[in-house]
Amino acid sequence: MSNAVLELRDVSKSYAGSPPIEVLKEIDLTISEGELVAIVGPSGSGKSTLLNMMGALDRPTSGEVLIDGSVVNGLRDPSLSGVRGRRLGFVFQQFHLLPGLSATENVATGLLYHGTKGRARKAAAREALERVGLGHRLDQKPGKLSGGERQRVAIARALLGDPAIVLADEPTGNLDSQTTAEIVELFLELNEQGSTIVMITHDQDLARSMPRVVEILDGQILDGADPADHDPADHDPGDDDLGDEPVESELEAADGDTNEDDAS
Amino acid sequence: MSGPNVKKLRSKLRIVDVVSQAVRGLTSRKLRTALTALGISIGIASLIAIQGITEANQADAKAEIDALGSDFLFITPGTGVGEEAELLPYASAMLETHIDELEYVAALYPVDARARRNELVPEVQTGGVTVSALTAADLDLLEPVNGSVAFGRFHDTTSVEVPSVVLGSLAADRLGIRHLIGHPTINISGTDFAVIGVLNEFEILNTDLNRTAIIGLGVADTLFETPDNPSAIYAQVPPEQLDEVRDIIPAQANPAAPGEVAVSRPTEALEIREVIDETFARILQALALIVLAVGGIGIANIMVISVIERRGEIGLRRSLGATRKHIASQFIIESTVLSLLGGLLGVAIGVSIVFGYARYKDFEAIIPWYWLSIGLAAAFGLGAFAGLYPAWRASRLDPAEAVRPAA
Repeated sequence: MSNAVLELRDVSKSYAGSPPIEVLKEIDLTISEGELVAIVGPSGSGKSTLLNMMGALDRPTSGEVLIDGSVVNGLRDPSLSGVRGRRLGFVFQQFHLLPGLSATENVATGLLYHGTKGRARKAAAREALERVGLGHRLDQKPGKLSGGERQRVAIARALLGDPAIVLADEPTGNLDSQTTAEIVELFLELNEQGSTIVMITHDQDLARSMPRVVEILDGQILDGADPADHDPADHDPGDDDLGDEPVESELEAADGDTNEDDAS
Repeated sequence: MSGPNVKKLRSKLRIVDVVSQAVRGLTSRKLRTALTALGISIGIASLIAIQGITEANQADAKAEIDALGSDFLFITPGTGVGEEAELLPYASAMLETHIDELEYVAALYPVDARARRNELVPEVQTGGVTVSALTAADLDLLEPVNGSVAFGRFHDTTSVEVPSVVLGSLAADRLGIRHLIGHPTINISGTDFAVIGVLNEFEILNTDLNRTAIIGLGVADTLFETPDNPSAIYAQVPPEQLDEVRDIIPAQANPAAPGEVAVSRPTEALEIREVIDETFARILQALALIVLAVGGIGIANIMVISVIERRGEIGLRRSLGATRKHIASQFIIESTVLSLLGGLLGVAIGVSIVFGYARYKDFEAIIPWYWLSIGLAAAFGLGAFAGLYPAWRASRLDPAEAVRPAA
């Protein structure tokens, strides 16, 4: 418990509408220091919204989000931005590299909002690029890099400033299987070096290669889908009902017909 | 044991980075930046060029006024009622200092003769050249009228007694006299006159002299019919007595019909022209300001588009710790820098035009520093203002939505 870097307590999120759409339903989730967690679920399951909550990109309708043991969902914009910048690293499906900047300059933006001087930013950026295996591509612009290389640049950027946790939102969504495997390998490596990483994916096989898998469906975490769930004390009594869930979700999956078998 | 207190984690963006980010944002879209800045450039270049040209013209006019002296009077037979313009019957008397205050007087007498290149040219083809005569006493004519000789020389005491002629610039042009090599002559009503000099063009005042062929009165009297009275008198009066003298001149020059004597102060026309120039410049500058405003709208427009296009970038920056204020400042600074770039380009263009005009007109270039600073200040303010709304929109983007591709 003491080494929990990120905690969601009873987090729900609804979007206005008639009727309101409830995307997340009373989620409890703890990520401990040094973990590598895959959050897996089909599209529409609420996993992106979950990442928004974890990344302080959006606020929950109810419940609490704790980063480094402090509740952040009530913070005002400057503090919330500070938390994102200093304690979290993000990797996106679209990489979000700035086209006019070299790999080093792109990575250096990771420290831009820390008030770090330009030279120190670049030095840190070069180091991070070495770490992700792009030491030979420092001065290339994104246009000259392959998809896998671009994502490595984005990962290097997320690592800058030594965040408590790296949140990766479908990081392999735009990559072929070979490159995907390389990126997964990189995540495993970084995790071994001590980084705490949460990866969101819709790819069950990919998720299975991670030490811990959290499965989400219809805004709820499926019980038993998380073999590494080493914190049973956190479970609330409502969890007992979840025994029925897999059946339901199997039905849903059949409806959706884009999903593979339910992991159980 | 938890990590550092998250509430104390504040984002920080160095000022130098604010500016360099803005510059980066602009330089990575060069063509768009250049085209957008152009609107501002044209506005500011116009402001400066108009002012510079007007000031140069005014300085020139002022120099002309100073050279002539504002105490210079030009007396001609007015356009009388009914009859042909009367000459100035008592002018000769006046010339003999009836009016003590007239400090300097020179007169030109009309000559009823026609100037041609040679006898082969039909006599009716004068090309608008008129013939005037002056007395040996008026050899200093060029001084009060602020004239000068382009080539050759002006009349002297000898030349006024022989068939020789000094031509105004236009007269020389019409008669085909471009140099004095080979001692060219022109034919004035049957007699050949040696051309001894050509005057520089009178650009603003006394332009009548441009089309005049000036011969000596003695020769004119012998060869042609010449009235006893001059058709134009150039006089200089002490400034403090100007109004007074001006009032009594008509009665002195033509007591029978004082209403038919026109007394003008040529510099008056210049002064009026100055005022007109000034007014015209202001109107043009108002137009330039409108161009500038349109340029500002162009910037606002492009910035709004930029915010829409760069949604992902904004989301990324928010995820990297940028606060709303950071995002807003980025777009305001970008818009301001864009506008200032346009402003600087405009200043460069405007100043070049001012120099080019000065060179073309052979004036001294006057850089309108006041308008230059106004232009740059306007560019600055306009850029900042144009960036307000786009910056506000950018800062209100929901980071969670901005980081994902638009639906």
